[in-house]
Amino acid sequence: MSATIATMEKATGAMSAAELASARHSRETVGDFTTANPRMTCRDVDVWYGSKQAIKGVSLDIGKNEVVSMIGPSGCGKSTFLRSLNRMNDTIVGCRVTGSIKLDGQEIYDKGLDPVPLRARVGMVFQKPNPFPKSIYENVAYGSRIHGLTNNKAELDGLVESSLQKAGLWNEVKDRLDQPGTGLSGGQQQRLCIARTIAVSPEVILMDEPCSALDPIATAIIEELIDELRQNYSIAIVTHSMQQAARVSQRTAYFHLGDLIEVGETNQIFTNPQHKLTEDYITGRFG
Amino acid sequence: MNAIPPKPTIDLATGHTVRRYDEELAKLRGIIIDIGQRVVEQTQAAVIALIEREESFAYRVLDREPLIDYLSLDADEEVFRMITRRQPTAVDLRIVLALSKIASEAERAGDKVVRIARQVLELLGLDIATELLPDGLKTLMLELDDKACSMFDRSIHAVDSFDVTLSLAIFEDEPKLYHASNEVRRLLGESSQEQMTPRQTVGLLTIAHALERIGNHATTIAEQVIYVALGQDVRFRNREILIDTLRHHGY
Repeated sequence: MSATIATMEKATGAMSAAELASARHSRETVGDFTTANPRMTCRDVDVWYGSKQAIKGVSLDIGKNEVVSMIGPSGCGKSTFLRSLNRMNDTIVGCRVTGSIKLDGQEIYDKGLDPVPLRARVGMVFQKPNPFPKSIYENVAYGSRIHGLTNNKAELDGLVESSLQKAGLWNEVKDRLDQPGTGLSGGQQQRLCIARTIAVSPEVILMDEPCSALDPIATAIIEELIDELRQNYSIAIVTHSMQQAARVSQRTAYFHLGDLIEVGETNQIFTNPQHKLTEDYITGRFG
Repeated sequence: MNAIPPKPTIDLATGHTVRRYDEELAKLRGIIIDIGQRVVEQTQAAVIALIEREESFAYRVLDREPLIDYLSLDADEEVFRMITRRQPTAVDLRIVLALSKIASEAERAGDKVVRIARQVLELLGLDIATELLPDGLKTLMLELDDKACSMFDRSIHAVDSFDVTLSLAIFEDEPKLYHASNEVRRLLGESSQEQMTPRQTVGLLTIAHALERIGNHATTIAEQVIYVALGQDVRFRNREILIDTLRHHGY
């Protein structure tokens, strides 16, 4: 919560201008990283690639029915942090994650926890649309088949239809479900991947630059979809487009060299960020 | 939860990666400073026209006023261009929004100067047997002019560096402005019809009111400077508490 001059008026023992300047340059996370209704809670998360530390003691909540955007320059660790939320980093040799990441209160890095069902609960959409070389129908049905979520063909048909509808793709593909998913346009392919993610009933959807390969119209459609999906899911999105972060998210987190520098309401971050590094980055002063 | 203090005065020393952006911001700020300096110069000229009974000064103010309007249009154009091309955020957004409002305030202050010049010309054209401006009133009118111009001039300097301390000094001068204005009104009210005609009184009251409004525009500009520097909207706030709070924080 940003203290206003009004709260400063009521405060006692207030800071001097010099102390304020010091706080503005600190590497401690500025802002409230908690949320009232968290779906995922991350505390003091470190991620190492061998001897290189990519994430340094990051704490952040992903709330229910909210979109959290993660921004920062290349190499700041935002994608690494995102991938640690559904253990995608497990596949990288030498990658080590410490700290606590909980999904609905359950530690996701518990040794006994199977990452495969975890990745159904915490789905992921990647930068480049990556439909399977299968039909549109099979792309959406695939996850349900391997997780055994439906009992018969009718149920599966219903799931495919509802998933494509939620992804805003049903009307465009309902007459050609047997055609290859790879034959769709880039934007349609990305929405197919979102439908595939939704089909396994996730609680959280992670999106790693989901629109960077799309034109502005396809991007607008995905952004509209993100806003609709928020009603049912928690969404964490990594984006290099600050305008996109400003448009789609309720909270924004700014990463810099592995540190979570600042987190806050998106409106506040883009109009009045508290940390100089955040301000320099979003105003294009980052050297 | 971290308690976040308000920010210290902004540091714009680090330029944008796109240098043209800095040039555009500097250009916009330059236009507004130009408008502000013209307002101060012309206010002084209009009041000298009254004091010295010098019509040419008043005509010069009227001749030059359209330049302020044109500069204000230029400022608007720069604002639109920057919003379209740069999509400013954070401090840049505050700068662009605030400079847009400041341009409007400065242009309106320019309108007050025109009002003064027109009144001066009308007063100078009156066929009156008495002194246009008795000595006591002359001194008070000069004090009011000095206060208004000083406040406006400093508000424009505050824009140059988004200086919170200077803005607070302008707020602190506001009661002195009202005092000077009230003194002019008091003396005009006490003047008898033998000393001053009703038309003369109305004209001088109008001039005093316009000078007071120019000082008011300066305080509005100072509010915008604080908005840019601290990211806090201080309009409609209790001025004394605001000054105390910010002074307490070292501004």
